Amino acid sequence: MAASKDSLFRSVDMTLTQLYVANEIGREVVSALGELGCMQFRDLNPDTSAFQRTFTQEIRRLDNVERQLNYFRSQMEKNDIGMRPIYEFSNTMAAPTATEIDELADRSQSLEQRIQSLNDSYETLKKRETELTEWRWVLREAGGFFDRARGQTEEIRQSIEETDDAPLLRDVEQANGSTEAQGGQQSFSVMNIGFVAGVIPRERMAAFERILWRTLRGNLYMNQSEIPDAIIDPEKNEEVHKNVFVIFAHGKEIIAKIRKISESLGADIYNVDENSELRREQIHEVNSRLQDLSNVLGNTKRTLDAELTQIGRSLAAWMIVIKKEKSVYQTLNRFSYDPARKTLVAEAWCPTNSLGLVKSTLQDVNDRAGHSVPTIVNQIKTSKTPPTFNRTNKFTLGFQTIIDAYGTAKYTEVNPGLPTIVTFPFLFAVMFGDFGHGAIMALAAIAMIYWEKPLQRGKQDELFGMAFYGRYIMLMMGIFSMYTGLIYCDAFSKELSLFPSMWTWNFPDNYEPGMQVTAQRVEGYTYPFGMDWRWHDTDNDLLFSNSYKMKLSIILGWAHMTYSLCLSFVNARHFRSPIDIFGNFIPGMIFFQSIFGYLVFTIIYKWSVDWYAIGQQPPGLLNMLIYMFLQPGRVDEQLYPGQGTLQVVLVLLAVVQVPILLFLKPFYLRWEHNRARAQGYRGLGETSHVTAAGDDDDEEAQEGHQQPNGRPSIADSEMDGGAMITQDIGHGEGEEEFEFSEVMIHQVIHTIEFCLNCVSHTASYLRLWALSLAHQQLSIVLWSMTLANAFGFTGALGVFAIVCFFFVWFALTIAVLVVMEGTSAMLHSLRLHWVEAMSKHFIGDGVPFEPFSFQVMLEEEMNELM
Amino acid sequence: MANGWSLLISIIFIVVFSIVSWFASPKGETQTVWRSTLVLSAWACWLMWAITFLAQWHPLITPQRADLRPEYVNGPVKSNAAMLF
Repeated sequence: MAASKDSLFRSVDMTLTQLYVANEIGREVVSALGELGCMQFRDLNPDTSAFQRTFTQEIRRLDNVERQLNYFRSQMEKNDIGMRPIYEFSNTMAAPTATEIDELADRSQSLEQRIQSLNDSYETLKKRETELTEWRWVLREAGGFFDRARGQTEEIRQSIEETDDAPLLRDVEQANGSTEAQGGQQSFSVMNIGFVAGVIPRERMAAFERILWRTLRGNLYMNQSEIPDAIIDPEKNEEVHKNVFVIFAHGKEIIAKIRKISESLGADIYNVDENSELRREQIHEVNSRLQDLSNVLGNTKRTLDAELTQIGRSLAAWMIVIKKEKSVYQTLNRFSYDPARKTLVAEAWCPTNSLGLVKSTLQDVNDRAGHSVPTIVNQIKTSKTPPTFNRTNKFTLGFQTIIDAYGTAKYTEVNPGLPTIVTFPFLFAVMFGDFGHGAIMALAAIAMIYWEKPLQRGKQDELFGMAFYGRYIMLMMGIFSMYTGLIYCDAFSKELSLFPSMWTWNFPDNYEPGMQVTAQRVEGYTYPFGMDWRWHDTDNDLLFSNSYKMKLSIILGWAHMTYSLCLSFVNARHFRSPIDIFGNFIPGMIFFQSIFGYLVFTIIYKWSVDWYAIGQQPPGLLNMLIYMFLQPGRVDEQLYPGQGTLQVVLVLLAVVQVPILLFLKPFYLRWEHNRARAQGYRGLGETSHVTAAGDDDDEEAQEGHQQPNGRPSIADSEMDGGAMITQDIGHGEGEEEFEFSEVMIHQVIHTIEFCLNCVSHTASYLRLWALSLAHQQLSIVLWSMTLANAFGFTGALGVFAIVCFFFVWFALTIAVLVVMEGTSAMLHSLRLHWVEAMSKHFIGDGVPFEPFSFQVMLEEEMNELM
Repeated sequence: MANGWSLLISIIFIVVFSIVSWFASPKGETQTVWRSTLVLSAWACWLMWAITFLAQWHPLITPQRADLRPEYVNGPVKSNAAMLF
């Protein structure tokens, strides 16, 4: 095939190319090809593990730099420092030189150390600050505890030593506050009461209390109070609510026990002096230390922030540079190295049309590097299946994604993505038909397309991201929905009286409200576009529209499936397999048309006959179709003369196709295979082996390709390396052995599936009717439950009610009718494409084309780096 | 205004439209997409229109309703421009 224009109709022609790149400029060449993004490099060292490859060292080094950059990034996130978005860099696509990479690596190394040390000191300081804050709280709260506790010791002491000079002492205490405190404190030591003070996370408080109570059997006096402000945990950077507690208990051992328990539960214990003077001093000291600390902290934080801001200015660009560089080396690892000639040998799939571009790019790289040895590009013939690549633009991308989500098309088979551009939104619109809802959808899509650039850069949530990705699909869906809305004569469930109606109301003479009125047809006039609006709100509206929409679905389904079936003919022609035409396409088509084509014919025929004018009862089509099979030849209600005979012929025609479908292809293939055998031909895989065996040591050479180190031993051979590697490719997948039983089973399955599917798929298109009915009824209900009620009010209340109900109605229209119903109609349309249409022609065992492209690689990162 | 001939006329119109869009599609990479999209859209829309037209050509049932007001007897709305929302 000559170098044809690439179109969406088939996947692009691919060529397997072989590149000989001088070792010195390997990195530059690959980087230039990465910018170009149209080559898929084959792995020439499949047996080599990742560690044994040539450029592992470089990749490790870059990994380290990447880790450092990620570290900066996490630090920036932790400190809420924004990164300069990637879009502000003008030349993100320029390839960096090797020295730039080295500089970057050194720089990030030193920066990492600096950030780390700053960070460490910051964290230490922060921890210290937290501790001091906690201590301050303990000191402050403990004062209150001590006062209360002392009150109790008074009582205790009184109860123990009644005879002492208690009254005197009490007087003194009452007279002098400080002595009182001392007296109280003395009493603690006198009574051998010790205490533990500290803080503990609030949620552990209950457990802490319970454990203490149980282990000490209630021999403790515990006080606690909540710290009103949350305390920030410096390690995790989250807020923790904590409680201060003071526990008084009797005896050293118990105190030690309490300490242990509290430590094990994550409490921090602080030193609190019994003496209130000392305590006050402690508070003072803590406060001044906190002051100093916060100064130092502020300084450290500022330095850290400044440093991180500085990094943030160029971090995005660095990350891209490193990612690119890493992918370059990963690609280079797929090349095989020829030590004798100091060249790298690469094999890559490349669209045939892009070869010129590739060659000129390589020439450029060579000129820039001032290298004398040019990079050689060879085209290789191979039996390997090329990858499937459909060139898309932003309009076709969404539609192609729909198809690729189902499966990758076989190389150069008809790409269903092309007709899908129309059929997908159209079938959607048949289900979604409403002018108003379609307009909303189209406007939303137009808005997304108009503000494409800013939206692309902004963060998108999942639902919006999906809608944005499919904005052109949405546009088409909206436009077609507006059209089908006009056809259905529906705009937000109300009629559109674009043309004079074909019906006039024929009021009887003695008309009273509530009487049934029947319309009369305007003679010789048919409503020219879409449904007549007089059908709206009539009593028998559904009777008419159901019959119409059901037939509409069947006819559209028939048209869609016939179209898809024809694509299988195009495929068979393209792959030069006439047996697929005679054994599959033609019998299949006859089968389908003689049943469902005939059904469509009768539907149209019945419509075009004026049954009342000729004075006949219109026959029921469903019964006709059923009796066509049950009792061929018998016609109860005649549609047209000679109907019985024609139906018998059609049924016979359809039945005869089944054995043809079943046997023609397998037996033809067997005959062809046997004839080829008889003439002495052998399978392709076998032949390559035989011809290659002309050389004595060929077996060894073949072995040589699978050497443990995995590099094809090009150097041992005088032959051109290309030929060897190409054989290696072909070797992997010889022609499959012809197995009649397998072909036969495959064909039986295909036949059964095809015949049954003709019936079930046609029925499946009835979903078009069901969903459009549901959509219409739902919008009528919504209207009558909201806005229609509002029109019942008058005066100021009426204005108010209309405004209120309008918002309710509009919000529900968007949420339920456009978004929810739209999604469901879209899924149904998707199914009709994947199952009903694509099963008629799609071969789909292709390998997707995954070119080495910086753009593709960075696309995801771009979103992250905003 | 509209009778059986409209079917024939519409087919001619769509055929002409298809031919024109085939040749008038912008050249280049997107030509196939333009052609396929325009022609297919035209035929899909035509098919839908034709089915709707056929369904109403010789209707078997006529509209009936029981909620018409007596004022309606003399002059039902005949305008063809007002959209009745």
